[in-house]
Amino acid sequence: MTKPIIQARNLGVEFVRNRRRNMRLREMVIRPFDRQRRAEQETFWPLRNLTFDIQPGESVGIIGKNGTGKSTLLKLIAGVLKPDEGEIIVRGKVAPLIQLSAGFSGDLSGRENVHLVAALHGLSRQQIKSMFDEIVDFAGDQVKRAIDSPLRHYSSGMKVRLGFSLVSRLPHPILLVDEALAVGDREFKKKCYKVIDNLLAEGRTLVLVSHSQPQLTRFCKRGLYLNGGRLVVDGTIQEALDAYNGPDEPHHEVDKDDN
Amino acid sequence: MQDGSGGGGVTSNVIGVWRARNVLKYLVRRDLALKYQQSVMGYLWSLIEPIGIGLIYYFVFIVVIGRGERLAGTIPTSQYILYLMSGIFAFMWTNGVISEATGALTGQKSLITTMSVPREVFPIGRVFARSAEFLAGLPILFAIAIWVGADFSWYLLVLPVAFLLQATFLIGVALLLSSLNVMLRDIERFMRMLHRLIFYSTPILYPLQAVEEHLPTWAQMIYKANPLVGVVELYHAAWFPQVYPSPGLLTTCVLGSFITLVAGWLVFYRLEPAVLKEL
Repeated sequence: MTKPIIQARNLGVEFVRNRRRNMRLREMVIRPFDRQRRAEQETFWPLRNLTFDIQPGESVGIIGKNGTGKSTLLKLIAGVLKPDEGEIIVRGKVAPLIQLSAGFSGDLSGRENVHLVAALHGLSRQQIKSMFDEIVDFAGDQVKRAIDSPLRHYSSGMKVRLGFSLVSRLPHPILLVDEALAVGDREFKKKCYKVIDNLLAEGRTLVLVSHSQPQLTRFCKRGLYLNGGRLVVDGTIQEALDAYNGPDEPHHEVDKDDN
Repeated sequence: MQDGSGGGGVTSNVIGVWRARNVLKYLVRRDLALKYQQSVMGYLWSLIEPIGIGLIYYFVFIVVIGRGERLAGTIPTSQYILYLMSGIFAFMWTNGVISEATGALTGQKSLITTMSVPREVFPIGRVFARSAEFLAGLPILFAIAIWVGADFSWYLLVLPVAFLLQATFLIGVALLLSSLNVMLRDIERFMRMLHRLIFYSTPILYPLQAVEEHLPTWAQMIYKANPLVGVVELYHAAWFPQVYPSPGLLTTCVLGSFITLVAGWLVFYRLEPAVLKEL
């Protein structure tokens, strides 16, 4: 068996509730005398005791109610958050289809943004150059016409399209998707689905966070059901969905063929 | 976090930053592009502030107060403007880094929370972006040197040394301030005071000799513990070899710069997990 591409061992993150920042200065100064009060600070674990392996080429859906740590888990996989407990090993680069327009700066043109963000994702100059036209073409005519004007003149749809177009073209083996597919019009959504299908066919690993059952069943074979920051079910996507939907509605029929 | 893994972690972060130097280049280019719109006017614009400050101090201290004679023993009065400007350009770099480093993480939140690049590149990028401004000032400095008839000697070779020392020190400061600022947002308020302090506590307006004559030994030690004192003196020494820092001052400066770098990096490393949660 090959080594898992994502490996979580007893993973946990701790957050402090209601922390006031300017308290920290005092805290840092008095810390040695103040251990007790520190311990009393109210903390919570959005995620704890998570252990799972994801093999290369797997497509995994993460299911759970809002606030159960799904996005936190994606952040841990993406490496933009560090665990307080346990460890997570990610063997390969990650293409995060998360908050697609977030990395862009409004004062730069679309072209400059593509270069900057692609460089931040670890592409070389040549790589960026060779795929630049492709990225812009995929984002659509509207974006293509505006590629040299500042990004703050773009509509949010245009930004998201450009972002998706860029990140989905990264050659990285792991794909993280966080509800990103819910944006864009129907036509663009179809294009996105096709891209993800192709990437999966190439053998990339997909981790998808979604509330949409059709999306989950379409792309994922395996499902992780999180509840209260714990991993409750690790099985097929159907098993995870059943656990999420609860015993009262075992045959969930809603929006099954919305696609 | 175990202490054993701490050192290894920092080392791997340093290697990570080296690998991400391409990213660094793009960040610096972006900062410069945003600021100067890649134009000649943008370049000239960056020089207005240091030259303006230089002229003001020249007017006040030399023309009005007539303090030139205090320098008489050390620096020819006619070349005081060169002494002043070489210190001011170095100060402007420090100044720029301190004011921009505090926002280096908080201001680029969206990039940091979506991309897995070594977070150090954001504050370090600010140091390099502002160094471009410093380098842009060098032609002005050389023009002034020609104008006042300064000596172009081998001592000019200390310029790159001073530059590297200052960069080392500033990277440490930037790492420290950027990470602390996320945890203590009120740190920005202290910065204005710090600017003044740095300006007056380095030998920019006056010769170091004046400090040595007027301060008690213990106060001198505190004064000279600031690595910028040595850095500024090196910049001066490029034109005025007679103020070349003593071996003691030079050692303090080199050690201080590197200690600041290591300390800044360690603090950044320790705060990083918490910083990522706060952003």
